[in-house]
Amino acid sequence: MSIKEYISDKLPFLLFNFILFAVASGIMLLIKMGGSLIFLMFCIWLLPLFTYILIEFFKQKNLYDELNSILDHTDKKYLLSEIMEEPGHIEGKLLYEVLGQVNKDMHEHVKSYRDRENEYREYIETWVHEIKTPIASTRLIIENNQNSITRNISGEIKKIEEYIEQVLYYSRSNNVSKDYLIKEVPLPELIRKVIKRNSRDFISKGISVDIEGVKGIVYSDAKWLEFIVNQLIGNAVKYTQEENGKVEFHTVKNQDNLVLSLKDNGIGIIEKDRDRVFEKGFTGENGRQYGGSTGIGLYLCKKLADQLGLEINLTSELGKGTTVSIIFPLGNSI
Amino acid sequence: MSKIVIIEDTEKIREELKTFLIRYGYEAAALTNFEKVIQDTLKEEPDLILLDINLPVFDGYYICREIRKQSDIPIIVVTSRDSEMDELMSMNLGADDFVTKPYNTQILVARIENILKRIQGTAVQDILIYKDLKLNLSNGSVTYKEETAELTKNELKILSCLYKNKGKIVSRDDLMDFMWNADAFVDDNNLSVNVTRLRKKLEGLGMEKNIETRRGLGYILP
Repeated sequence: MSIKEYISDKLPFLLFNFILFAVASGIMLLIKMGGSLIFLMFCIWLLPLFTYILIEFFKQKNLYDELNSILDHTDKKYLLSEIMEEPGHIEGKLLYEVLGQVNKDMHEHVKSYRDRENEYREYIETWVHEIKTPIASTRLIIENNQNSITRNISGEIKKIEEYIEQVLYYSRSNNVSKDYLIKEVPLPELIRKVIKRNSRDFISKGISVDIEGVKGIVYSDAKWLEFIVNQLIGNAVKYTQEENGKVEFHTVKNQDNLVLSLKDNGIGIIEKDRDRVFEKGFTGENGRQYGGSTGIGLYLCKKLADQLGLEINLTSELGKGTTVSIIFPLGNSI
Repeated sequence: MSKIVIIEDTEKIREELKTFLIRYGYEAAALTNFEKVIQDTLKEEPDLILLDINLPVFDGYYICREIRKQSDIPIIVVTSRDSEMDELMSMNLGADDFVTKPYNTQILVARIENILKRIQGTAVQDILIYKDLKLNLSNGSVTYKEETAELTKNELKILSCLYKNKGKIVSRDDLMDFMWNADAFVDDNNLSVNVTRLRKKLEGLGMEKNIETRRGLGYILP
């Protein structure tokens, strides 16, 4: 706010005073009153008026300058009314109160949404745990009655379990919460565990596995990592052809990170799709051709990896295969 | 025979788990009165306890703590709560292992075997005997009459799987399943090669009639 702006804002009022003063002086001149009387009138009328306008200007300028500087220096601008000092003058006080009320109301509004989201998330968690019980009994029934039919059902149940797990991690990924626990995770053990979970698919498609090159320990949340690796393996198996299919895992230790790569010799990803595979809901050419793709798996992997402080990237050549790498920064790895 | 007590409130799971464990050669008892589950458990004098966490009356954590006060019976916590936090909590309360629902039954059996082996020491057989063939699991050797040969990891696994199902045909798929569950991620060709080598080794020991191939069905140790 400059003095020019302020004065132009007060222009009608000032003009009105000037005109009145001019008229009064005119009349005084006409009735031949002395110049000193006109000067006296100027002193008791316009001088205090100008002084008042100036003082007001600085008061207002101070207030808005302070507000602007707060806004410039905080990223959560809605906290303005909490940060600003209560001004001493009436206009400032009113503004302060109004801001405070608006802020409080907005907080309550946001809180109602946050509560709703938390409630929903809690419900999802409970639901996921509940549905695991009938799935567990189904698995046992299958185990106790093994034949080709239950073998088929078992495959479908595995798919259901995978979708359920996705729901759970989706709801977890939206929340910056303390759901994870960082501890030592030996990578070979983790990879073996996830491969075993998918052994049926590997065996039935005749895809071979090579984990000789996996070495090292990282510090991360084992469950979240397991979920990420499971998604990646699921993709690798799905997009690898039956003949001579091969999925290879290996780790490379660099000076400041440890890279875990998963390489398949599957159908690969067309170039124009490559940069978008981590986008939510993106299914691309492969999704259209092979179906059964929701565009959630890789999106979730990326999101969870971000939260764990890991980098994840993908390279691919159409018809030759895809390699996905998870990068554990130093400090997370030994 | 080792006795396992199942503490689980879902009837279906309780019954199926019991059937499953009996099939694997254990004596299984399922508790149904959750009011005095701790006394009942101790009365059964089991070798191992499978404990669910979400239970009526007392929760699993409480039961785990109370049993630990009075006894060292190994406890495996079986639950659908699967976060690392839950696992840590169970371990802190004195559980010996933690398996999440819905579990892979093979993994469950492996964990049970492991714990019993650790607790009972020699109770689990390390030497399998089949006719004149002695299979030593701890040093990976096989002895026929007086001759001994070393087996590779994979050969040992194949032979022990066929031994466990002796007299029955084991399909290639089931054999593969067994191998993969035991961390040997072999492919189709690998399996054939391993079986051929194993057969040659057994023949080299003078065992003329060993593993037979039943075309289209699988392998059998007759």
